[in-house]
Amino acid sequence: MTSITLLGTTALLFDAPGETDLPTQQRIWALAREVETWPEVREAVPGMNNLMLVFARAPRHLAALEARLRDAWDAAVPLPREGRLVELPVTYGGDAGPHLADVVAHTGLTVDAIVALHTAPDYPVFALGSHPGYCYLGGMDPRITTPRRKVPVLSIPGGAVSIGGSQTGVSASTGPSGWNTIGSTTMCFFDPTRDPPALLRPGDTIRFRAERVIR
Amino acid sequence: MSLPAADIARLAAWLAQTDLAALDLRGPGVHLRLHHVAGTVTEVEEPPPVTVITAPSVGHFLAAHPLHDHPLAPIGTRVAAGQAIALLRVGPLLLPVTAPCPAIVVDVIAAPGAAVGYGTPLIALHPLTD
Amino acid sequence: MIEILSDTALATVQDLGRTGALNWGVGTSGAMDPLALAAGNILLGNGAGAAAIEVQVFPFLVRFAEPCAFALTGADCAASLDGRPLLPWCSAEAAAGQILRLGLPAAATWRASRAYLCLAGGIDVPAVLGSRSTQLRGAFGGHDGRALRQGDRLAAVAPGAGQRPTGLGAVPPAFCLPLSQDGLPAIRVLPAAEYDRYTAASRAAFWGEPWRITPQSDRYGYRLAGPTLTPSAPIELRSHGIVPGVIQVPHGGQPIVQMRDAQPSGGYPKIGTIIEADLWRLGQAPIGSRLRFVETDWETALAARDANEAWLANLARLADLRRIAT
Repeated sequence: MTSITLLGTTALLFDAPGETDLPTQQRIWALAREVETWPEVREAVPGMNNLMLVFARAPRHLAALEARLRDAWDAAVPLPREGRLVELPVTYGGDAGPHLADVVAHTGLTVDAIVALHTAPDYPVFALGSHPGYCYLGGMDPRITTPRRKVPVLSIPGGAVSIGGSQTGVSASTGPSGWNTIGSTTMCFFDPTRDPPALLRPGDTIRFRAERVIR
Repeated sequence: MSLPAADIARLAAWLAQTDLAALDLRGPGVHLRLHHVAGTVTEVEEPPPVTVITAPSVGHFLAAHPLHDHPLAPIGTRVAAGQAIALLRVGPLLLPVTAPCPAIVVDVIAAPGAAVGYGTPLIALHPLTD
Repeated sequence: MIEILSDTALATVQDLGRTGALNWGVGTSGAMDPLALAAGNILLGNGAGAAAIEVQVFPFLVRFAEPCAFALTGADCAASLDGRPLLPWCSAEAAAGQILRLGLPAAATWRASRAYLCLAGGIDVPAVLGSRSTQLRGAFGGHDGRALRQGDRLAAVAPGAGQRPTGLGAVPPAFCLPLSQDGLPAIRVLPAAEYDRYTAASRAAFWGEPWRITPQSDRYGYRLAGPTLTPSAPIELRSHGIVPGVIQVPHGGQPIVQMRDAQPSGGYPKIGTIIEADLWRLGQAPIGSRLRFVETDWETALAARDANEAWLANLARLADLRRIAT
């Protein structure tokens, strides 16, 4: 069952049902492309199998907009996007991965098993968010799922490779995070003077390569 | 400042001919008081000069800024030329009313919050000449 | 041109925010009190969205290198120009060499924590991705993408003496648009997606109890202290877009309100979202102060937006009339 909820008067949040997967995300991309043309919508921002509609101006009549949104979702056909494959060399563990031990404790797996499961898949870029240039990735193996930290960490560096719940991602700049940092990589994910400013976009794919594992 | 002596003499002569007991004449920079008793007119000593600051527009008179808990120009205090001594509120706009010269605040004439029109007396100042 | 004289600031150049870049993970930033920023600009005859300096730590001192009209809004900080007191929420003119000092915010009739220094024409910094707001996380926008430091020089777009009438003031919105509950400042909230997944006791406490703003509060988020908010069952969510005003509840049960520099997405449960029209109230609430959340509905929230816009439009109209008259 899709859900449409409010984010105050600033935006609507549309959530697609079911497990988080790429075909659903492709329908979210299609939905975003459609609603972007609506006069009420300033920006359509995909998340992980969900879509935030930021209002240009909060409309008086929400029910009509919500009905139109549901219809647009029903009509949304998966939008495949041609993307590039980007490989990131990662140092796992040690100072680069201060929370790797917490993932070990939660999953019961060894460091090597976790690294193997983390580096095996191709990770499609589902959406950008969180901070400039940051990519939300799909495709993480559920066996290394580890809940977000009870107390967010005030500062983790750019390049930090982390696991939060059933997702993984790479920080593009230094900042706070509630995820579990297991490794580190180097890459420029965002440059405001470039056009477009972000290195990656939805439809691209990331691979992690274990350059070094510190146990 | 006062009227030329010839004008005062003419006014005194006129007053002496009437049944009026007193003449109080005020104008910009002028304050003349004549008393009439049985055909004799005397000029009463001028009190210290007072400048009445009037409203420069329509609005509501504020003696204090909404963010302050003290008045802008308490009675008896000295104010500088250009210093804000009151505010006129016109909707959300605030227009400062400023002292035209260094002065002592003598009286707050208008009631705080009162609706005033152009020219309504607001505050009385005793200008300082030094 | 002004020169920053203070050595510690958490002052940044902000305008009304950077929109249209969420798809690259770039949040809006912008003034924590957009009404104060817009009002300061209106008093100078600037566009409402011209860039200004948001000051959060006091005292804050600048020197004017050349004549310039300016306006100070937001918190009343006993401001003075070369020692001469200035009226708050008022435009004025500085001569070359004069020093403007913002002191600690006075809390006589309104407790506020941020001040806005607007200059004639706005602060002249390049627009990046459509805005002059400082994007601290991404280190771009505003003045070199960072907080201001001693020695920084900032230009006004249109300085110069006698270019525009000054001495115009505004009644702060705190007085024109008052909102309180049981004697505390109130903020209106619309329930968010996970609202119903909290216990009835938690929901009642959210609306019924005061919340204190802890020292761990800043432009990224305000951490509040108050009753523990407990979901009926543990909640794990997928990452989704969020906006300033979203009230997240991490595992500890103490809410964090996402503010202007917050991440534009997150995965913590959301109990409610502050309506856009009331964000300025929280943006001004000082650390240590308490507030109440008030449940509202869509119509009331839109009416609040309309009231804010009407206040600004009215101020602009009257200020323009005044400028024509003088």
